[in-house]
Amino acid sequence: MPVSDFLIILGACASAMLACRVIPVFVLKGRSLPETVVRALNFIPPAAFAALVANDLFNPAAMASGDTWSWLAPLVAAIAVAAVGVKTKSLAWCIVTGVCSLAALSALPAVL
Amino acid sequence: MGRIMHKDALKESFSAALPIMAGYVVLGIPCGILCAAAGMEAWMVALMCALFYSGAGQYMIPNMYLAGNPLTAIIASVSLVNTRQMLYGASLSQFCGSCRKRLAFAFGATVTDESFGVNLARFINGGWSVGSALAVNLFSQSAWLLSNVAGALIGSAVSLPTALASFAMTSLFICLLCMQKISGATVVAAASAMAGVIVCKLVGLAGPAILIGALIGVGAALAFSMRKNDSHDSDIRMGA
Repeated sequence: MPVSDFLIILGACASAMLACRVIPVFVLKGRSLPETVVRALNFIPPAAFAALVANDLFNPAAMASGDTWSWLAPLVAAIAVAAVGVKTKSLAWCIVTGVCSLAALSALPAVL
Repeated sequence: MGRIMHKDALKESFSAALPIMAGYVVLGIPCGILCAAAGMEAWMVALMCALFYSGAGQYMIPNMYLAGNPLTAIIASVSLVNTRQMLYGASLSQFCGSCRKRLAFAFGATVTDESFGVNLARFINGGWSVGSALAVNLFSQSAWLLSNVAGALIGSAVSLPTALASFAMTSLFICLLCMQKISGATVVAAASAMAGVIVCKLVGLAGPAILIGALIGVGAALAFSMRKNDSHDSDIRMGA
C-alpha cells in the first residue's frame, strides 16, 4: 500500500471515527438523541455486520469454479463460529474457533 | 490528566481491562498479519491503532484494499460501520457532565464496543470516575496496538495464508452479529442486508456491496419498525 493511499484512508476514517465518538459526548451532555435517529442508529450494527458476513461468505467466483469445498468449508466454519458466538459472546473464542476450524476443514480434502 | 491517579484506582482499572486486553491480543495479531499482507508497514499499523482504533475498521481496510476496492468505497463502508460509536458517546455523555473537557475528550475518543460495556456497567454501579474509565480504555488500546504491531512484524517476516487471517475477520463479524439484540426489526435488518449484498455481487457491484446492503437493511428495518411502532427499537442499547 503506497503511503499516500494509507494517509488518505487513515485521515478520512480516523476523522469520521473521532467525530462519531466525541461529538455526542459534548453536544448531548446526558440529553437524549431524537428518537428516529436512535432507531436508525440501532439498526446499523445488525445490518452492517450481516452485510459484512454475507460479503465474506458469498463468493460467486468460487461457486462458479466447480471447487465446491473452497466456498463450502468457510460456510461450515461460519456455522461453528455462530454456535460459539451465541453461546459464549466472546470475540476471542469466536476467532480461535473460526481460524482453527477453517484450517482443519481446508486440510480435509488432502487427508481423505 | 493533570494529577497522578491513585495506584489502587489504576490497579482496579487494569483488572477491569484485563479481559478486554486478552481478547484484543487474539483479535490484534491476525489483524496485523492482514495489514502486512495488504502492504502496510509496522509504523502504519501502529499509527492506525493510535489514531483510528477500531477492530472492525482495521480489518475491513486491508481486506477491502486487497480485494481492489476504490478508496472511496473503503472509507464509506468503514465509516458507516463505525457510526454505531455515536450511540456509545450519547449514552456515556451523562457521566461526563462534571469532568474537565480534555478528560471527556480523551475518554470519548478511546471508547470501543468492549470497553463501553465494561465502563457503563461500572458507571451505573457507582463509584467509577471518568479517569478510571479512561484508564480502562488506554490499557485496552495499548494491548490492541502492541498485538497489531506484533502481527504486522510476524506477517512481514513469514508468509502466512491470508485466507485464515481474513477468516478471523469473518469470525469477528459473526460474533458481533450474534451479540445483537434479537427483535423483529433487527432480523429484518440483518436478512435484508444479506440479501442486498448477495444481489449486488450477483449483478457485479462487488465494490459497494457492503455499503448498499447495509443501507438496504437499515431502511427495511426502519420501515418495519415505524409501521409496527415498537418503542423498544429506540432504546439505546448496551454492547455491540
